Amino acid sequence: MITKSKKASFGKLIQSEYQKIFFLKFSKIFIGCLIIISLLMGLIFSLTTNVTQGKAITELSPMNIISANMLGIDVATIMLIIFTGMSISKEFSTKLVHVSLAVTPNRQKFFFGKFIIYLILSLLVSIIVTLLTCAAAELVLITNGLPTVSFFDPMFRQFVFGSMYMPVFYCLLTVAATFIFRSSGGAITFSLTIMFIPGLISMFSDTIQRLIIPILPVSALHSISGVAEKESFELLGISTSILLLLVWIVITSLIGIFQFERKDV
Amino acid sequence: MIKLKKLTKIYKDKVAVDNLSLEIQPGVVTGFLGPNGAGKSTTMRMILNLTNPTRGEVLIDDERYNNLRHPISKIGALIDANTVNPKLTARQHLQLIATASGISTSRVDEMLQKTGIEKVKDKQIEQFSLGMQQRLGIAAALLGDPETIILDEPFNGLDVDGIKWLRKLTKDLAKKGKAVLISSHLMSEVQAIAERIIVLAQGKLIADMTIEEMSRRSLSMYLRIRSENNLFLKTLLEKSGAHIQSANINTLSVRDVKMEKVGLIAKENNIAIFELTKVQPSLEKLFTELTVGKVDYSSEDNSSKREGVER
Repeated sequence: MITKSKKASFGKLIQSEYQKIFFLKFSKIFIGCLIIISLLMGLIFSLTTNVTQGKAITELSPMNIISANMLGIDVATIMLIIFTGMSISKEFSTKLVHVSLAVTPNRQKFFFGKFIIYLILSLLVSIIVTLLTCAAAELVLITNGLPTVSFFDPMFRQFVFGSMYMPVFYCLLTVAATFIFRSSGGAITFSLTIMFIPGLISMFSDTIQRLIIPILPVSALHSISGVAEKESFELLGISTSILLLLVWIVITSLIGIFQFERKDV
Repeated sequence: MIKLKKLTKIYKDKVAVDNLSLEIQPGVVTGFLGPNGAGKSTTMRMILNLTNPTRGEVLIDDERYNNLRHPISKIGALIDANTVNPKLTARQHLQLIATASGISTSRVDEMLQKTGIEKVKDKQIEQFSLGMQQRLGIAAALLGDPETIILDEPFNGLDVDGIKWLRKLTKDLAKKGKAVLISSHLMSEVQAIAERIIVLAQGKLIADMTIEEMSRRSLSMYLRIRSENNLFLKTLLEKSGAHIQSANINTLSVRDVKMEKVGLIAKENNIAIFELTKVQPSLEKLFTELTVGKVDYSSEDNSSKREGVER
């Protein structure tokens, strides 16, 4: 019996990319662990303030406790970077990409298929982790007899929504980086370097910091979530911040597509 | 139809494929032969757009592969049986190809059955033998019911049963009008299935013809004749323009003359024929003749054999 093929669409490609991720037991376990570990790490950060900040939990403001708990999102971001780098590079290292490109020879389309599925995945992971971390932080406040922070508090809302950008941004940056380096090591190192570079920049003079810090994605992410301090070099407007993040994604994606199209697989 | 036009691939220090122009014919099994490093796999990869040509192009029904609307229905290929994620099951591997191409799940099951791996469909590919991986690769190649099937070394790792199955499968596909291009180092297998042969050596096209045509042109093809008067027959055949390779009282070895003509000459001159046999060289012998002096990698033993052919 010969089955006539239905037309291959972009939607089908996305569906196939979803299968590539979730047919693997490793992915399900990793994503599950990512959510649990992020939540636990958030709790550990908020419950160990007397060690990390030298103050007992009851001495801190509710917003400080929530902020400590939200460090769980940083953990989720790092784990998502590792997951993205490993999953995509596996397709190159196992040469499964040969099969994928035989089915989808348009390399731009193939890249965007990956980009979209990881955008959706990171967005979902980000929403779940942020909501769970927030809920856990509120629970910590309640159990310590402290007042909870209302979701209608504009500062809190900005902090929560702003934090959601981080896993999504770094995940997409890693997607592009994996196409550039075609190895998990290269991609993960690239994204983590971009993430942690402000720590190194702070060792340089103010002039250098003033030049570099505002163009780093961390500044944009901190500005969007409202944690950038007023006098710091990080502080940017919301639209400038979003634009900066988009520029980072667009430039790295263009390099990734260029490399992918130019080089043989 | 697949057309290769002046296809060239140059790596830093090596010309892998050199100005290759050919067409892959539908309805026949074509053997794609060449010594190691001849450029066969590079050519196959360029057909699938996995490797960018330095010059030239490949057209599939006058379109480039990456512009095809539904490429999997035009070309199905097995380039390397290891191009799989070993953690996936056979069914999952085929399923994700089917999903991306909009092919129904029933076709996946059909291919699993057709290639004989239905019983192991839910096992991880890392547990597969090479033969089973080849079968899975062939299943993937046939999934889109393509017009052209490209198989690179498909006999590797197959057991006797698998080889028989693949022989039948390729012949059946050609009978259905599909173009089948097979590269293999197993000359006997290619000889058993291919009607046409393409030979590459050092990236260049050495031969593109039917096996019969190749045999005809071969120096190794001759007629072996035993008659009641070999020496007289030899003189008669020489007069008619035949080339006598060797002659003695028992046997004549003759080239450049048709069997029927030998029979008629013998009849006209009342010479009884005891044996008239067309001795056809094996594909291996033909291949050696064609690629003599054009092999990049050769063992000492083979080099001396090849020198013998050259002499």
